[in-house]
Amino acid sequence: MADKERVPNTLPLSRVKTIMKSSPDVSSISQEALHATGKATELFIQALAKVSLEKSKSDQTELSYNDLAEIVNSEETLQFLQDIIPRKIKMSEYYDLIKEEEEEDEENEEDGS
Amino acid sequence: MAERPEDLNLPNAVVTRIIKEAIPDGVNVSKEARLAISKAASVFVLYATSCSNNFALKAKRKTINAADVISAMEDMEFEQFVEPLQECLEAFRNEQKGKREASQQRKKDREQSGNSAGDSTLEDSNIDLTAEDADEEKSAAVQGAGDADSDVMIINDDSGSSVDNGAEEG
Repeated sequence: MADKERVPNTLPLSRVKTIMKSSPDVSSISQEALHATGKATELFIQALAKVSLEKSKSDQTELSYNDLAEIVNSEETLQFLQDIIPRKIKMSEYYDLIKEEEEEDEENEEDGS
Repeated sequence: MAERPEDLNLPNAVVTRIIKEAIPDGVNVSKEARLAISKAASVFVLYATSCSNNFALKAKRKTINAADVISAMEDMEFEQFVEPLQECLEAFRNEQKGKREASQQRKKDREQSGNSAGDSTLEDSNIDLTAEDADEEKSAAVQGAGDADSDVMIINDDSGSSVDNGAEEG
């Protein structure tokens, strides 16, 4: 397929470098380190997709957002992604959450005074 | 440096292909899931960089090297990446070494063929290398001819033709 030939199989290292440089306190990165990080990211993408599909309790023919959120919020090594891929919740659950927080705040205020 | 926020995203087409490689054919990946994985990959790069940088700083170095990245993977509990990464690095090093040797060889060849017109019996010389050698041999031979008998017209050699012009006028 022509499309397959046009899209390269590896992540663009220039982009990987831009992301790396955006991290604070990083002064310079060796070529080898850049190469290794690019490869590690590829491995990570594959591992994340694979494990999400394997652990998926729903449809095995589709990888959905919820499969990802489930794995991110249950695997300890993926904790760093919890803010990026949170579990979806219903509006009613969200309201309950807000209410709970408000109640807690009120309690704290009462304790403080 | 990143000037626009989208500069910190990885190209979607490439990410999608990498995902497809990991999962069986026929499995559909929802658009939402693809976007989430792409963002996760960017965050992974940042997280790995921060960990690698810590290892570099600990060793009082300013440059992150490959060993720092490998240590970071262990630190992040992605030990399963260490072995494939080391293999990949090995391949990368060999490739770089090959490139360096090829360019050094080319340099050496050029010097050699400049002195004695072409002595290229290299087994691993590649195509454009031999083409270059051939060109240099030709020009060296042409120059030699121009020196030997100056009444022969040589059009494609500058120094030769100027000598010839002088000879014809005189």
